[in-house]
Formats: sequence, structure tokens, C-alpha cells
Amino acid sequence: MFYEFDERQRAFREKVRQTYEKEVRPIVEEYEKKESFPVFLFRRLGEEHLLCLRCPKKYGGPGMDKISECISMEELNRICAGIGAGVMVHGGLGTDPILRFGSEGLKQTYLPPAVRGEKIGAFALTEPNAGSDASSLRTLAIKVEGRYRLNGSKTFITNGTICDFVTVAAYTHPEKRGTGINLFVVNREDQGFSVIKKLRKLGNHTADTAELAFDDCFVPKERMIGEQECGGLEQLEETLKSGRITYGARSTGVAQAAFETTLSYVREAKRRGNLLQKSQAIRFILAEMAMFIEVMRYTTYRGAWLFDQGMASMKDASIVKLFCTETLQKIVMKAIEIQKEAGLRTDNPIQRYFRDARLFKIPEGTSEIQHLVIARELGI
Amino acid sequence: MEFELSEEQKDIQKAAEEFARGEFDPDLALELDQRGIFPETIWKKATRLGFIGIHYPEEVGGQGLSLLESILVMEAFCRRDSGIGSALSLVDLGSDLILKFGSRDQKEKFLPPIIQGEKQMTVAFGESEDEQDLSVLSTQAEKREEGYLVKGVKKYVLNLSRADMFVILCRESGEQWLPLIVEKDQDRMEIYPIEKMGLKMISSGDLHLQSVGVPYENRLGERGQEMDLFQYYHRVKSLRFLAQALGLMEGAFERALRYSTQREQFGRRLSQFQVIKHKLAEMQVGIEISRSLIYKAALEVERGELYPKALFISKIEVGRRMTGIVDEALQIFGGYGYMAEEEIERFYRDAWTIRTQLGTEEEMRDLLSERIVGKKNEP
Ligand SMILES: Cc1cc2nc3c(=O)[nH]c(=O)nc-3n(C[C@H](O)[C@H](O)[C@H](O)COP(=O)(O)OP(=O)(O)OC[C@H]3O[C@@H](n4cnc5c(N)ncnc54)[C@H](O)[C@@H]3O)c2cc1C
Ligand SMILES: Cc1cc2nc3c(=O)[nH]c(=O)nc-3n(C[C@H](O)[C@H](O)[C@H](O)COP(=O)(O)OP(=O)(O)OC[C@H]3O[C@@H](n4cnc5c(N)ncnc54)[C@H](O)[C@@H]3O)c2cc1C
Repeated sequence: MFYEFDERQRAFREKVRQTYEKEVRPIVEEYEKKESFPVFLFRRLGEEHLLCLRCPKKYGGPGMDKISECISMEELNRICAGIGAGVMVHGGLGTDPILRFGSEGLKQTYLPPAVRGEKIGAFALTEPNAGSDASSLRTLAIKVEGRYRLNGSKTFITNGTICDFVTVAAYTHPEKRGTGINLFVVNREDQGFSVIKKLRKLGNHTADTAELAFDDCFVPKERMIGEQECGGLEQLEETLKSGRITYGARSTGVAQAAFETTLSYVREAKRRGNLLQKSQAIRFILAEMAMFIEVMRYTTYRGAWLFDQGMASMKDASIVKLFCTETLQKIVMKAIEIQKEAGLRTDNPIQRYFRDARLFKIPEGTSEIQHLVIARELGI
Repeated sequence: MEFELSEEQKDIQKAAEEFARGEFDPDLALELDQRGIFPETIWKKATRLGFIGIHYPEEVGGQGLSLLESILVMEAFCRRDSGIGSALSLVDLGSDLILKFGSRDQKEKFLPPIIQGEKQMTVAFGESEDEQDLSVLSTQAEKREEGYLVKGVKKYVLNLSRADMFVILCRESGEQWLPLIVEKDQDRMEIYPIEKMGLKMISSGDLHLQSVGVPYENRLGERGQEMDLFQYYHRVKSLRFLAQALGLMEGAFERALRYSTQREQFGRRLSQFQVIKHKLAEMQVGIEISRSLIYKAALEVERGELYPKALFISKIEVGRRMTGIVDEALQIFGGYGYMAEEEIERFYRDAWTIRTQLGTEEEMRDLLSERIVGKKNEP
């Protein structure tokens, strides 16, 4: 059973923390302001072997486990959730389906440059009218003479304007509701693929989010992930299981950051002449934050450990996501509240953590959907 | 006991709602918010129609109504748009102090320009992020022959860039408190607006006073009234923000309700899912509780009650109800709710900015518990 990080894992955490402090921290504010992703970072992190952590050595990857991926994600999100989102999608939903279900050819083509950060990946499932209900997708991939013709539009796609390739979900058999879906890899330069617009958001400003369109976009049949038509959503289930555990790590990282700034705030701030840290109510609040973060971290890494053992169920993954993303909200809300007016200044990172955290209750299954998944797995 | 708005009050409410519906535009609001611009034209129109200073006496051009009516107007405005509504609710912060503590001359001089939409007024008391903290008060007013010379730094002043008049709390000769009405002096005042997360149409920031001359007749209130004035300010300011909170939660609720009846997933409208219905029901609970508390609080403040219990309670309850409602409303919008194009995204940021103005829950519990067990814990 997973109880504590071993020496190797602790050393890895130390290394990634140093790397992110050095490479990411100094550029966060600039890119948050510009509301754009620092694209050069992909190559930098590639050089540090910090992209696609679970990608095997055979394809140039570091070949690490889920626990390591979570450590890296926690540390990156502790510094910036928006940048964390781009890196997560690239190494997660963007490339995971290729790694798990793709042909050898697809793996050889897409994984090595992704690992090096030379090619950026994205993942496109959501459509304007299909969010929680993925089976109501309208994007079609119809086979025409050895190729597939894609038509449809996607929205809220992370890395949308900066990606070099995107893993797209589309119906090959629209008459088979839910099951007639497949995943395709579309290249940026493919005819008929276009970025409609970049979207502005409440938070995660460094993350690039866009609306995409596929308009008679032809892709060779080799770029379908998996051998057979149909079954794409089942492939996604597997990827989502991993992604939901990653959300535990993201939440823990943001919570940790919010906690650290709050702790230093209460050490210095005064109310009516008294140090805030002397207030019993404030001491309770910080104690609770520390307790929640401890439990979030434990839940996340237990999920990751189960995943590494091949034992994680969807229920395990959904519990990690639901618990951690919801608990994070409590932490950032209290953190911003007690800093009063100072907490609202855009030069105070606490309001960024607060805005960024709000996202986590939405993607890869909203909180409501996580409840429904867990209930379903309870057999009721 | 009557628990209904009068016909006249309902008419005022309706008029304010109609005005807001006609004048506030979501695209304009989005732009003003993103660029941090005050809604100048709408403000001018609102003053022309008498919505600003509705509770001022008729002698100075007001309508002689009570605080409750002014709250109904702010509520209606914020229901339509939290950003524009809040901006309009804060153009005359501080005028309540002149109404209550000002001399006849002061009222005649400073209030009509507000009513006529020529000037705006604000309050600059705080010197840290905690506006209520009196222990840090160090702005000095030196007595000279021709008047006071005021020096100091005020922090997080609301409506900083747009205000033409400030009510400032200083210390006279380093000791006694001294509330003064200070007119804008370009040469001797510097303003440093800060960028904040929400309510971006109304600026906020630091005010540096570099030996600003203030005539003796601008002293506000009698000696000995300073603490009353300070308390009254916090009460009416809280009421204003509570009214904004109420309007904001109603607006968030209406938007979420509308969206939930239009958006379909899994072949059903969101409003057909039980958990979504329950979220909407819970929003109603929050709105009703808040409304009752806030209207009661307005009456308490109007009557000058020593201990406005409903006001203190509403600052805890309404604050958390509002942020809870806007959070669920955003959630009902799903991914769209997180996008800047949706009004709810702005409501979310504005709600937390308003909540901050109400004080923290812990502070309110401090205040309430002082009344229960006494300041020195003696019942
Ligand atoms: C910043 C951001 C980045 C994203 N990145 C990506 C990406 O890279 N790729 C991608 O494909 N997608 C991405 N998404 C999309 C995201 O996964 C969807 O927003 C999410 O799945 C919810 O879908 P929706 O927004 O359509 O909400 P809806 O599905 O319309 O849901 C609206 C509300 O109804 C609730 N609801 C829905 N169904 C039920 C039900 N049966 N019972 C009770 N309540 C229900 C939901 O919980 C939610 O509260 C991103 C979204 C955001 C905001
Ligand atoms: C978060 C918060 C919210 C509040 N909200 C409200 C509210 O909604 N409504 C409301 O009525 N009040 C409100 N208050 C004010 C509160 O009720 C007290 O009136 C206020 O905080 C002063 O209390 P105190 O015990 O700090 O003051 P005290 O301890 O009495 O005074 C603080 C300091 O100021 C000095 N001082 C007091 N009077 C003078 C004077 N005339 N000249 C010079 N020095 C003086 C004192 O000697 C002392 O050093 C709020 C306070 C806080 C902290």
C-alpha cells in the first residue's frame, strides 16, 4: 500500500520543483497578462525530460509512472495552473490515446517529437452542443476512398491555437449512438482544419483555449487511433481515468500555493493592532487548510498508485477528482476572503489561484458528472 | 406587522428595472469591465431621471425618500448588471455622512452637484486593506490660519479616479479624529489606482494627500460625533453593498434559470435534472433570506438603532449566500460560464469583490459575539 514517497520520488520532486521555479516562475506574470501560453517552454521542458512522463523510453520518453506524473503536475500547478493545463493536455489526453491504442506507425510519428516538445498536442472532444454528453457529438468522420472526411466544430480546446496536432473525437457511425465514435489525429497543416477563435476566460489565462472547425478535412485512414471503426469512447474512458487522477495533483498544487501565500499573509497582517495569526479563528482556518491539503495529497497519490498497479477503477478516479477539486474551492475562497481588499489586487497571486481553481469543477467531467459516475459504479 | 413594499416603493423598483433594461447592455458592460471604464453616459442619464440621491431631502433636489428606496434602486441596477449597477451605486458614497452630520451650508454646497450628475463623492477612511482598522489612522490635519493642511496616504479608496469630493478621516494635531470634506486638488493630490479582480468599472486605489488645504467650514459633524460618524459610514456603506449583493444574486439566478431551460444534454433540458432543479431551489432560499434580512437592516439603520442586528447578520449570511449562488450559477453554465463572453463570468468576479466589502465572516462574528458575551467576555 502507498504510504509515503520513497527516496527516488522525493528526489524527483526536488528536481522538478527547482526546474519549474527556475524556468516557469519568472515568466508567469508576463504571460498571464498577455493571456497567452509561453510556447518556447515546451522545448525547454522537453530538454528537461518533463513532457509526456509516462511515455516509454522506446519512443524517447522518460518512461515514468503515474505517481511521478502527479508529482510533476502538482509542482507545476503550484506555480501556474494555466501553464499546467497546456502541459497536462499535451502529455495526457493529447497523446495518451496514441500511446495506448495507436498503431506503431502513429506512435513512431507523434510521440518522439511530442516528448521533445517540438510538436504540441491537443485533444478535441467537446462541441458547442456536446459537453457532458459526449455521445451527442455531431462531428462526423466518414470514410471516403481510404481516407476519412471530417466535418464539425469543437470548442473549449486547450492548446487549440498553438497545437501541431490534435486528437479529435468524431462519429464514424452516427447511427450507433455512443459507440460509433473514433479518435483521429489531425495535423495543423491539414486542409480543412482551422482555428475559429481564441477564447477569453475567468482564469487559467496562460492556457490557450480555442474553438476549432473541421470543414471537409481529409485525413488518411492510418491516422485513426485503433484498428476498427467504433469504440473510440471506450478508449477515452481509459484516458479520462488517468486525467481525473491528474486533476487531484493539479488541485493539490494550487491549494498548496494558496496555502503558502495565506500563511505568509497572516504572519504579517494586522487587524486592530493585533497580528492576524494570533486570532483563534484564523488559526483554525489555517489548520483546516493544512488538513485538507494533506488529505487531498493522500487521496491523489493513492489513486495514482492504484493506477500504476492497474487497479484503479473509474470510481477511484472520480473520487479523486471530485474530492480534490471541490476541497480546493473551499481553500481558495477562504484564502481570498481573509486577505480582504489586498486579496483582490491583480498583483496578488491569491486572486489568480482563486480564478484558476474555479475551472477545475468543469473539465474532464463536471462535479455533477463525477457524482453520477460514482453512483453508477456503486451499482445503483 | 407589514411585510410588503408599498405601492410607491414597487413603482420605484419597477422604474429602476425598466431604466436598467433599456440602458444597460451586455456588450457594453463587457467592454467597460475589460477596459476598466466608468459608465459615464448611463450615470448622466440615471441622474437626470433622479435615481441618484433618491433619499436626499427635497431641499437639495432629492426626492425625500428613505434609505430603503435607494436600496431598491441599487438592487434593480445590479440585477441587470453587476458591474454597471455597482458603479452607479457608488457615485455618492459619503453623501450619507453629509446628510446625517453635515451643516445646512454643507448640504447645500455639496449635495446638489451630485444630484445633478456633475460631481461624484467618495470616502477615504482606510489606511490598510482593513478599512475598519482605526489603529493605523495616521493622516494628519494641521491647523493653520486659513484652514487645515492635510497630509497622509489613504488606501483602497473606492471610486478613486472619478471622485471630485472626498470625506476623509484624519487626526487633528496627531490626536483627535477629524472628519473633513475635501475637494479634489489636482496639484496636491495624487491617485494611484490599482487593478483589481472585480468591479472593474469603479476604480480603487491609493490617495496621497500632500498638504491639501481644507477650509475650516469643511469639518464634518460636531466634536464628539466622530465615532458615530465612523460607525454610520460603515453601516450605510454595508447597506449599499448588501443591496448590490442582492441584485447580483437575483441576476445570477435569473441567468442560470434561463440557461437551464434552454441548454440540453442527454436529450433533456438541464432544468429537468433533479440536481439542477435543486440548485435553483436553493438559490431561491438564499435570495428570500437575504432580501428579508437586508430590508430589515435598512430599516434598522434608518431608525438609527444602536445595535443593528439584522445588518450584522446579513453581512455574514448575504455574503456567503451571494457567492454560493453565483458559484452554482456559473456551474450550471458549465464551460460557457468560465468564458469572459458570458455575463456570469463577470458576476462571479464582482460577487467576490462585493463580498470583500462586507468584511470577513470572522470579523462579523467578532462583532456579534461582542454583543453577546461583551467585549471583555463579561456577559
Ligand atoms: C478552460 C476549459 C478548457 C477545456 N479544455 C478542453 C479540451 O482541451 N478538450 C475538450 O474536449 N474539452 C475541453 N473543455 C470542455 C469541458 O470538458 C466541458 O466544458 C465539460 O465537459 C462540460 O461540458 P459543457 O461545458 O458543455 O457543460 P454542460 O454539459 O452543458 O453542463 C452544464 C451543467 O449541467 C450539468 N449537467 C450536465 N448533465 C447533467 C446531468 N445528467 N445531471 C445533472 N447535471 C448535469 C453539468 O454538470 C453542468 O453543471 C474545456 C473546458 C474549459 C472551460
Ligand atoms: C470588519 C469590521 C466591520 C465593521 N462593520 C461595522 C458595521 O457594519 N457597522 C458599524 O456600526 N460598525 C462596524 N464596524 C466598526 C465596529 O463596530 C467598531 O465600531 C469599530 O471597529 C471600532 O471598534 P474598536 O473596538 O476597534 O474601537 P476602539 O477600540 O473604541 O477604538 C479604536 C482606536 O481609535 C481610538 N479612537 C476612538 N475614538 C476616537 C476619537 N474620537 N478620536 C481619536 N481616537 C479615537 C481609540 O482610542 C482606539 O485607539 C466594523 C468593524 C470591523 C473591524
